[in-house]
Amino acid sequence: MKEKQTQPSAVSRRQFLKQAGFASVAVMAVSTVSSMFSAEASSPLSWLGAQEAEAAGRDVREVLRANFGDRTIQPSHVTLKTPIIAENGAVVPVTIDSDLPMEAANYVKKMYIFVDQNADPFIASVDLTPASGKALYALRIKMRKTSLVRAIVETNKGVLYGDTKTVKVTIGGCGG
Amino acid sequence: MQTKKSMTVAVAAVLAMVIGSSVSCAETKASEKKASPTAGPKVEEFEQSMSYEEYQKRYKEVFGTATEQMAEEGNPAELALDDGLDLVNTVAGTKGLSCASCHGKDGVKLKGVAATYPKYSPAIKGIATVALQINRCREGKMGAEPLKYESYDQLAITMYVKSLSNGLPIRVSIDGPARPFYDKGKVYYYQRQGQFNFSCAVCHVKYAGHMARTNLISNNKHHGDHWPAYRLKWGKTGSMQRRFRGCLKNMRAERPAFQSEIFRDLELYLTSIANGEPVQVPGLRM
Amino acid sequence: MPKHIGKIRIRVPKHIANGEVIPIKALITHPMETGLRKNKKTGKMIPAFYINDVSVYYGGELVTHADWTIAVSANPFMTCYVKADKSAPLKIVWKDIKGGVYEKTVQIQPE
Repeated sequence: MKEKQTQPSAVSRRQFLKQAGFASVAVMAVSTVSSMFSAEASSPLSWLGAQEAEAAGRDVREVLRANFGDRTIQPSHVTLKTPIIAENGAVVPVTIDSDLPMEAANYVKKMYIFVDQNADPFIASVDLTPASGKALYALRIKMRKTSLVRAIVETNKGVLYGDTKTVKVTIGGCGG
Repeated sequence: MQTKKSMTVAVAAVLAMVIGSSVSCAETKASEKKASPTAGPKVEEFEQSMSYEEYQKRYKEVFGTATEQMAEEGNPAELALDDGLDLVNTVAGTKGLSCASCHGKDGVKLKGVAATYPKYSPAIKGIATVALQINRCREGKMGAEPLKYESYDQLAITMYVKSLSNGLPIRVSIDGPARPFYDKGKVYYYQRQGQFNFSCAVCHVKYAGHMARTNLISNNKHHGDHWPAYRLKWGKTGSMQRRFRGCLKNMRAERPAFQSEIFRDLELYLTSIANGEPVQVPGLRM
Repeated sequence: MPKHIGKIRIRVPKHIANGEVIPIKALITHPMETGLRKNKKTGKMIPAFYINDVSVYYGGELVTHADWTIAVSANPFMTCYVKADKSAPLKIVWKDIKGGVYEKTVQIQPE
């Protein structure tokens, strides 16, 4: 299995964080963010930085649009836990954890996992009920290569929240 | 630490050669009396790149605890242990016997036994591994067909038998009759071979903790204590010898057959490095 | 189905307080074949064979349901949560694209 020598033009985490201004939550106010996308004011990726969104590639944007249209996805209330470097891309443990309530009238009804660089970015979705008690789901997934992993949760009222992590997947070592 | 050890071994080897050459019938007596080495082969040992602690620290820095957590939370290999147990209790072959007929229900009398394997077997005048012994018992004592190495059943029984020793310290004998085979295993471990002119030791002793392209090379301290193991890359469980063949393939070297003499000697050598460490079968590896 | 497919282990905490929200850890053996791999010996594509549907029932009611794709790892392991507010069986059912159905039930016994 040859290692692909393509270095994506993706920014480093540090650069991305600076640009997206994750340091201050206020920057992620909807109006400010959608103005970052002059070409696509109603992009489903309105909660991401412009440069990072570009590096994501066509496929995942289509997949996200198909799932969420132009709805806003707020980058809060969800934590996606992944390893920084996956020892083996065939088995990457990920955990979606949301602190949102799980009550009869207010609960997380669905959680989604996407991996940008997989042939099909949609990995899995989970339907929850208040009886689930906690909006946490862990799964082991396959990743084709170093990629952004996205966790998106949807409440019963249709509000979307999300988190992303970049997971490095190495190929072409000597691990047999 | 490793430097001192390798120096002591080197000195012992030289002394042994001197003693061995001057006292010809010392061999059999020595193996009976005390653990004095017979004339050992000259193996140019490497100095270990770093201590095991440093290697662990480096591993954690690169990969964190994800694999460890996966092993603890859900190791798919463990789901075969029940099948191993069933097979141990199931009659097989022409004599109406099961493993349990001799080794107790659920193989209970085998507790602690795997901690001493691989070991010298006088019957085969060589080293017996658990996997080999299972087949020898089946053919010899039960009149049953030997199980193909690396097959689900073979691995299930091997894992189950070894798991009966979980937590117990490994104590394989490398003295007496086992010694010449241990030596062969060690020579093989240090011998350069293949298109890249690597040896096991070049990576796992000299450069353990360093990167081989995109992989962190593992230190060999625990290589002997957790096989068979579930390997993420295989998506399956496999034996230590399957792993040998994987490494040798990467080294572009010749690959001996499963349970060939040299592989059994090598397994003895590698397991002896883990002497004192608790058995932890099945393992989970990248 | 060969015996190495569909082996299940479900882990729940040993001691459960009434109403406690507890983790359910479930492991099942299944090749989760993507359909994108080639058999090196025959040169033919290995057909897709994977679990695409997972349901968790507690006391007979569906609590959690998941849709899986080929991108879920082989021998899948998942963790989900359940509010343990009654002494009742917890059943997990996995279904694969070839119609294979695998299930296991454990008793949830809050103290």
